[in-house]
Amino acid sequence: MVRERHSGALHYTECNEAPEMKTLVLGVGNPILCDDAAGIKAARGVSKQLNNPKVSVAETSAAGLSLLESIVGYDRVIIIDTIQTRGGRAGQVYRMEPEDFSSAKHFSSPHQINLFTALELGKMLNLAMPKKVTIFAIEAKDITSFSERCTPEVERAIPEVVRTVLEELELKARKNKNKPT
Amino acid sequence: MKKITIDPITRLEGHGKITIFLNDDGSVANVYFQVPELRGFEKFCEGRPAEDMPQITQRICGVCPEAHHMAATKALDDLFHVEPTSTARKLRELLYSAFYVTDHTTHFYILASPDFVMGPDAPPAERNILGVIAKVGLELGGAVINTRKQNHWIIQTVGGRPINPCFGLPGGVSRAITEEERKQIEEIAKQSVEFGKLSLKLFDDVVLKNKAYLDMILSETFTQRSYNMGLVDEKNRVNFYDGKVRVVGPDGKEFCKYAPREYLDHIAEHVEPWTYLKFPYLKKIGWKGFIDGKDSGVYRATPLSRLNAADGMATPLAQAEYEKMYSTLGGKPVNYTLATHWARLIELLYAAERLLELSRDPEITSPNIRNIPTAKPDEGVGIVEAPRGTLTHHYITDERGVIKKCNLIVGTTNNYAPLFMSIKKAAEDFIKPGVKITEGLLNRIEMAWRPYDPCASCATHALPGQLPLEVTIYDAQGNELKRLSRGIS
Repeated sequence: MVRERHSGALHYTECNEAPEMKTLVLGVGNPILCDDAAGIKAARGVSKQLNNPKVSVAETSAAGLSLLESIVGYDRVIIIDTIQTRGGRAGQVYRMEPEDFSSAKHFSSPHQINLFTALELGKMLNLAMPKKVTIFAIEAKDITSFSERCTPEVERAIPEVVRTVLEELELKARKNKNKPT
Repeated sequence: MKKITIDPITRLEGHGKITIFLNDDGSVANVYFQVPELRGFEKFCEGRPAEDMPQITQRICGVCPEAHHMAATKALDDLFHVEPTSTARKLRELLYSAFYVTDHTTHFYILASPDFVMGPDAPPAERNILGVIAKVGLELGGAVINTRKQNHWIIQTVGGRPINPCFGLPGGVSRAITEEERKQIEEIAKQSVEFGKLSLKLFDDVVLKNKAYLDMILSETFTQRSYNMGLVDEKNRVNFYDGKVRVVGPDGKEFCKYAPREYLDHIAEHVEPWTYLKFPYLKKIGWKGFIDGKDSGVYRATPLSRLNAADGMATPLAQAEYEKMYSTLGGKPVNYTLATHWARLIELLYAAERLLELSRDPEITSPNIRNIPTAKPDEGVGIVEAPRGTLTHHYITDERGVIKKCNLIVGTTNNYAPLFMSIKKAAEDFIKPGVKITEGLLNRIEMAWRPYDPCASCATHALPGQLPLEVTIYDAQGNELKRLSRGIS
């Protein structure tokens, strides 16, 4: 059974009422800023198809430190977000690790902090940080026009991301199952 | 799907741009400042029910959604001709105070403190929050995280949802709080007051006791004599949630004081051909260009401006700090841009004290949280102080309450002209003939930008989750001489 709740730093959808929610799928973005909504839409897609009591799905429009607060306490976090790269093809999906952002660590940000710095900060403060963070980023075409719809290229990529995230979760579940006890 | 290992930051577009053109002798000829444009918000709102505006407008900004939610809710009160109940008003201000505690904490520790704790010329690898915590101690880092977390709990509890509240309704709020919740809020408020005091002590120890920093604050490079804007209560004290907008001149004298409905009589917007940004100015003085002084309509709406525009703070500890700041910096008004960081910490302490006061208010747990509107909607204006400046929401609807027109002047927008002027002045003072253009120089120019914490494009959350800044310098022939960046390469 899927039910909605408002809790923590996030807007959550929980699957069942399992006591332990160790994995978090987090859609990040702005739901009314065209392609910037792709991460949130993909997270909603994952939530609809997911049937695993140990996985929470959430969405947030926060960044920086708020993002850090959202992921504290989970063993594993999958973040779905958008990205813009020079020459990138709209709808292209990338799988990344936080280390891919590491070169940004040394830059002081004109506004808040980036994901990698947030994770480093959490470790430094001995917070219960996830052991693994994976980021699925969708190449966005338009993140500056107010609209509830993504561009067609990005809209088409969302089911692919949903499928990939579900596969990733399934793989993880299988691995855990096969672990010798 | 392609697996890549890239630094996406190197490829991010749409960042903040400062472009500096030099003369033949290497001095600064001109400076331009641009940030990405977000399009079509007014169109997006047209045809929607006005009651949706507190939910929609808070999506404009990823940093201060609570401010938009509150300005929109107040605009709805005005639109539907209904006064909120006393308890509703207090609950709104309570949530808003908690929000200020989180926002000002974030700004000071993440953004401002590295320049002072680590030093403006420290290597960028150390000049960040990680460096600050390594130097000042893990305990402080934990306090920063904890203060934010606890106050976010208040926002969630009172506002119905964290970060993006959903409790503002015309005439009140959607939910009362219980005695149990009140007690917890009071406890958090007490801790937040202590945290505010601690932060001001840190500022005192690290910044004010360091002569080099004090000299930098007082330097002409970081001085701007513009008008100051801020919301004040009936006794002309700083208020974030309600009151009239007061404007005082660079000489400290009151220039005007207006109610939200009168904002168009006082504020107009100037357009420049080189940017889509509009530059608000004081209508009765007029646009005289990017110049400061009493004869220019340029004004600032920052934490420092709010303190300058007011006669004091409404809480005792903040008032004492307010007096200390003005006696240290030579009286009112203070026109030193870098003193904005100090003003922000005084506001942090005020917000925490106000939170504590409201948590102890006998009415705060009353179930009387809403007056139901009965009049036909037509037009409404709501103004609050967002952390980054006076925030105005103005809606016009048909008689069913469907939006026909909406106009917003967001916090940062007020500061575009003075921000641009501050950057230009810093660039002109630091880039001189024969001076080597270095990373340290870029940081000095950024230090003129940082007190304003402009959030023009923060509605976008695309990775890497920060607004990069790029400074490009061209010689007199238009050749690119140097490109220095934050968050880009």
